[in-house]
Amino acid sequence: MARKYLALMRLSWGLSLEYRAEGFIWLMTNLFNVIMLLVWLSISQAGPVNGFSSADFVAYYMIGLIVRQLTAAWSSWELSFAISEGRLSPQLLRPIHPIHQEITVNWSEKVLRMILLLPIVVAVLILTPGVSLHVTPASLLAFAISVAGAWAIYFLADYCVGILAFWTTQATAFSNVLYGLKIVLGGILAPIQMFPPAIQSLLEWLPFKYMLAFSSEIALGQATGERLLFGLAAQWAWVLALWLLMRGLWRLGIRSYGAVGA
Amino acid sequence: MRYVRLFALFLKASFLVELEYRANFAARAMVSVFWAGVTLVGAGVFFSHTETIGGWTFNEALVIIGLFTFMGGFIQTFLQPNVQRIIEMIRLGTLDFVLTRPINSQFMASLRYSQMFSMVDMLLGAGIVVWACIRLGYAPAPVTLAQFAIMLSMAVLIVYSIWMVIATLAFWLVKVNNMAELFNSVYDTGRFPVTTFQGLIRLALTFIIPIAFITTFPAQSVLGRLDATTLLAAVAMGVGLFTVSALFWRHAVRSYSSASS
Repeated sequence: MARKYLALMRLSWGLSLEYRAEGFIWLMTNLFNVIMLLVWLSISQAGPVNGFSSADFVAYYMIGLIVRQLTAAWSSWELSFAISEGRLSPQLLRPIHPIHQEITVNWSEKVLRMILLLPIVVAVLILTPGVSLHVTPASLLAFAISVAGAWAIYFLADYCVGILAFWTTQATAFSNVLYGLKIVLGGILAPIQMFPPAIQSLLEWLPFKYMLAFSSEIALGQATGERLLFGLAAQWAWVLALWLLMRGLWRLGIRSYGAVGA
Repeated sequence: MRYVRLFALFLKASFLVELEYRANFAARAMVSVFWAGVTLVGAGVFFSHTETIGGWTFNEALVIIGLFTFMGGFIQTFLQPNVQRIIEMIRLGTLDFVLTRPINSQFMASLRYSQMFSMVDMLLGAGIVVWACIRLGYAPAPVTLAQFAIMLSMAVLIVYSIWMVIATLAFWLVKVNNMAELFNSVYDTGRFPVTTFQGLIRLALTFIIPIAFITTFPAQSVLGRLDATTLLAAVAMGVGLFTVSALFWRHAVRSYSSASS
């Protein structure tokens, strides 16, 4: 498996280098985070909002930028087009599940994005007075595990949406809704602590906060001890559930798949 | 008159095409409702922590949100589909089929297609504006409505001109899609009063990428809080940008020599 991945990685890395100019488009998606940050800064001028000072908002949204870029996934588009145009057939003949190709494409894009994004984020964090991050070996490890989990949740959920293309021609509409839910409930529009308490406790059990906000909370030292362990457990339970769902949907989908022109 | 008739024909043709894809229409309409909901919930979260944002109360800001949704729908319905096709036609050389028609080429190229399902956003946006006025217990006077009509027309002219300049750049540049994407990202600021932003950013949103003239200032005119200077500035901005875009298009077409030659 490792050798197969290495071969796929090399292929995908070549592809991302070829289309690096397209990187400009994703840079623009960052602007949404920055706009939300500016609005929260205008609100927090009068004083801290639910425990968030202006510096906390800066730290939250800067870490959020990194998490968002590391966990972005868009394979549902590729998959749904491949299904509806019949291009999936040759991929099915390979000795490896098509999801692995998508995973390596996703990873190699990220390397490129981080090279561009990290210096900016680090500069802003250093230049903003009053920013405090929670950095210990344990918290760094927890942060890394949570980002991996966040990536897996969104990637798998998005892939499930793509699989829906076996039955409907409107799969991309669903992926749009999934993206919107991540924006609102995942902590991009507002940190989860800004929601009413009842909604906050509901979000503990839903997958959306574990797509993004949870990792930022770890970096800011807001999720520690029991909260941290509960979060990690809930997050990886969702990873497992979505993985099982993906496998089940895929099996059903393949059974009903009759390629165009076959 | 001839152009009005032609435009009606264009609309009809696009509508007939879309009737073929009814499932798509239904799915897109749902997505529109969903995103309008996202914007409203977002505003609810922001305003649960503050009385005003940029000096606007929640009910007043709803007018801005309505106009933001409406103009977003307008862009998606009329501008985006045509601009994408113009860029494509310049690349492939098929723009020749537009240029050889016996009508104004900018008219034909920029209004031929429309994406009817995005009109749902325009309806939702208009609905939100009306809802905001009801919540405020406010009925605009006829003079206010006349001012609003002018501001809205200017907003339409401004976005149209910006998109046409972007499309025209495709005669020389290849990656113009990125600029359209950039506009869409900056447009997201339009769901907030421009006064939310400070310093250089506010200046840029007023004069460089004039989002303020597209949502905030027209919303002010609905509420009857428009001063004469802003009204005049909007007219100057609208007419000026439209003239620039038309001249730019004419210059581009004149120096254009198709793709294959």
